[in-house]
Amino acid sequence: MSWDSEGFDAIVVGGGHNGLVAAARLAGEGKRVLVAEAGPRAGGAAVTSEITPGYSVSAVAHLLEGFPRRIERKLKLARHGLRYAVRNVATVALDRDGKHLLLPRTRKEFAVFREALPKDAEAYREYVAHRRALAGLVAPLLGERPPELADPDALRRFLRRSVWRAMLKGRGTMQNLLRTLPESIGDRLDAEFESPLLKGALAFDATLGGGEGPYAPGTSFRAVLREAMRLQGQGACLPAGGMGALADALVAAIAASGGKIHLDTEVSRILVEEGRVNGIVLSGGVEIRAPLVLSAISPGVTMLELVGAHHVETDDIRELRNFSPRGTAAKINLALDRLPQFTGLAPELHGARLLIAPSLAELDETSHAAQNGDLPLEPVMELLLPSFADPSLAPEGQHVISIIVHNIPHEIEGGWETHREALVQRVIRTLGGYAPEIADAMIAGEILMPHDIERKYGLAGGDWHQGDIRLDGLLVSRPAPGYSRYETPLPGLWLCGAGSHPGGGVTGLPGWVAAGAALERGDA
Amino acid sequence: MTPDTAHPDETAQEQVDLDNEQAAVDPALFEKQPVEPPFARTVHTTPLHLLISAESRTNRWTEWNGYTVPDVLTDLGDEYRALRGAAVLADHSPLVKTRISGRDATDYLQRLVTRDLSSLAVHAAIPVIFCEGAGLVLGDGILFRLGDEEYRLVTEETHLAWMTESALGFRVRIEDVSATLAMLSLQGPLSAACLRDAGVKDIESLAPFAACWADIGGMPVYVSRTGASGDLGYELWADVEDAPHLWRRLMSKGMSHGLRPAGFALRELARLEAALPRAGRDYLSAFAAVMSGDAATPFELWSAPAISLNKPVFNGGRALRRLADKPPRRRLVALVAEALEPVALSTVLSGTRPVGTATTAGFSPALGANIALALVETSALDGSLSLTGRRREGLSTQELVLPARIMEEPAWKMARGSAFPAALGL
Repeated sequence: MSWDSEGFDAIVVGGGHNGLVAAARLAGEGKRVLVAEAGPRAGGAAVTSEITPGYSVSAVAHLLEGFPRRIERKLKLARHGLRYAVRNVATVALDRDGKHLLLPRTRKEFAVFREALPKDAEAYREYVAHRRALAGLVAPLLGERPPELADPDALRRFLRRSVWRAMLKGRGTMQNLLRTLPESIGDRLDAEFESPLLKGALAFDATLGGGEGPYAPGTSFRAVLREAMRLQGQGACLPAGGMGALADALVAAIAASGGKIHLDTEVSRILVEEGRVNGIVLSGGVEIRAPLVLSAISPGVTMLELVGAHHVETDDIRELRNFSPRGTAAKINLALDRLPQFTGLAPELHGARLLIAPSLAELDETSHAAQNGDLPLEPVMELLLPSFADPSLAPEGQHVISIIVHNIPHEIEGGWETHREALVQRVIRTLGGYAPEIADAMIAGEILMPHDIERKYGLAGGDWHQGDIRLDGLLVSRPAPGYSRYETPLPGLWLCGAGSHPGGGVTGLPGWVAAGAALERGDA
Repeated sequence: MTPDTAHPDETAQEQVDLDNEQAAVDPALFEKQPVEPPFARTVHTTPLHLLISAESRTNRWTEWNGYTVPDVLTDLGDEYRALRGAAVLADHSPLVKTRISGRDATDYLQRLVTRDLSSLAVHAAIPVIFCEGAGLVLGDGILFRLGDEEYRLVTEETHLAWMTESALGFRVRIEDVSATLAMLSLQGPLSAACLRDAGVKDIESLAPFAACWADIGGMPVYVSRTGASGDLGYELWADVEDAPHLWRRLMSKGMSHGLRPAGFALRELARLEAALPRAGRDYLSAFAAVMSGDAATPFELWSAPAISLNKPVFNGGRALRRLADKPPRRRLVALVAEALEPVALSTVLSGTRPVGTATTAGFSPALGANIALALVETSALDGSLSLTGRRREGLSTQELVLPARIMEEPAWKMARGSAFPAALGL
């Protein structure tokens, strides 16, 4: 292979969606870019795969919640084939007795909501307005490079700007923010609402993907962060053809700008010469040189395994050693021979995001079980029937269902092999309480435990967010203080994966901002 | 049950019965083992303790790295005169000795310390400094190269946690060998003669900072021409079992040269006269410093610290490259205060403004004056300085302000210390 002679300006290690976004941005600026992806396809955790021939589903992530419009427009993803089956997917909290609750998006839906929960309706409107106001305050921070921690002036400017923005939003915003930062979502919801179902659903969204229960301090702010992520995009969207469609559009955008993507190309180490990065070495021993290397894989693996401790100082390594993501969510994808009827659910809402989190108490219980290393008795989960709006995913009249099971232990005594079946049984039994015929409709399925996700899709620790997205894991402290501005201590090496600010979820932001910062620096 | 107490025939009886399907369980597995915590003892004595106790005429002891060591054995003045006029033998076993070995030992140390080690030959030693990420000194010491892939780092304080942390990704083995290796320090102008008489051949041809294996009375001893006295001196590294015999042999062979045993106070005085800072006294290791001012950069502690800024990567390198361009905020200087009798020195003043602290102070018999190592603000170094001190007479104390000046040269620095070949007589 004579890749060396081609001459690249930049190499992106890892073809997850963040790596692809970074590569697309660099390629769009005229840089000659190479993406080296170890797996057989690009996209990372944003891929569509077949459960069984004829039935396809988004393998891991299944909704596009916070992919910013501006990235979509700048990279012209629509022109490269990104279509949406549904925009602004509704959220329904499923009730055991069939009194399901649609979280209102419009005036009309709110009227229905008020009828169902007359006592909580006003509080809900207020809660959403508060959350949105704070999210509006936080959202701009998610799309920018964190301030330099070592530079007191930059830090002061950053804080002053944030405070000013809070002042501009109105007198209450600052107080509200200070109250929200440390508080737990459980306490907040208990104080404001009566309906257990509503509280369960709101707390589910705030804790999904993290290891803590709803009464853990700081979870209230996570609801704000999640809302801020959503503000970046346009609500939760379902790409036509599953999440793989996003990866495909990004691949097309890179190809259109002349960038290259090499699949099945495992990087064995990052080449360091004279104290700076000078390219990569593939597992076959082939060297590919470039003055700029962006790593979209986990920061720990990048620095400890690809670079190696020889080339950086002890302090640089020490910071990252504590950063080990631990996934606590499983994914179950099922092929069904018919549309499962959820008791009491209006037919048009079968395509919505369906939450099974009946109450705060049950959510709390599952999180305690997970922390003790036990399987939850009644798992809490998020369901999506993507084939309802996107018939291309399954044969006519048949469906696929995509399930995120929240709060499962990262590791379990005796290993997952013996407990995998038990988890599926519990999920199906729980689902059966809402859609009785689901067990009969199943024709095939796959279950992905955190370590399966790590093995198959390359997410370190199987953690969707690559380290909890919380206040102490954002901005200047993500993934570690010395790495928070995407730049590593090694000149020429940048981080651009979900381990960096603003973190996980399919947002493309770490890749986008990192590539922008590298361009600004002129490393390429 | 430990192997020592198990009777041999008792263990031999237990044979595996292949026909028995029930797995045999060894009840010893479930016995409670009385555990002795490895670091339960906090008061240590060196291998030479009993021998040295017999030498003590003052019963003045002090603590050094958790070990009980003599402060003064007979009289500090007598010990000092022996050091500068003949030779003294002291037990320096409490120093922390770390063995670093393995395929990556050289690469590992190149990243750990600030200076370039590529010129360090086998059986040679070199003073090294090591820093953390912000360029603050963690410690300094002497690094010996014992073999191609084997080193020994000798420091005042233990740095095992930092050293093992830094070993991630390197194929090295790091062991604290402090307790298995005794060290006798033989310092003074006649130290070479004492060693020759003790049976070390060609001792005069050992260059400064070189080392060799020697046979002293049938005991293998690693002899290095190192020491912190500012004069000719050797350090002898031996097995703990051999150390008392080595001590006796040296004392008997050196008797005719006026060799005397000495304690810790003399070591401090000698190093003060040689103007060598000591970790834990003149500066605090960066991790031990609670107040940021207690930790120091190498540029503050040494006027020309051994730092190779062109090494591609070493701990603290990034910060030190930044610091190298700027003049240090403070400097460690040797001060002399005119006074004819010993005074306890404390604060450095510029006019009436405090500009520094005397970290080590003492009365130098060589100069007949009070001298001190002091960390002083750089801006004040050009002006006139004074030192506050306290003199005690009987029960009354007297606060003094003494005019002080900076010594350009250490109070004791003899050319014979670095002469080659080493002088065998005065």
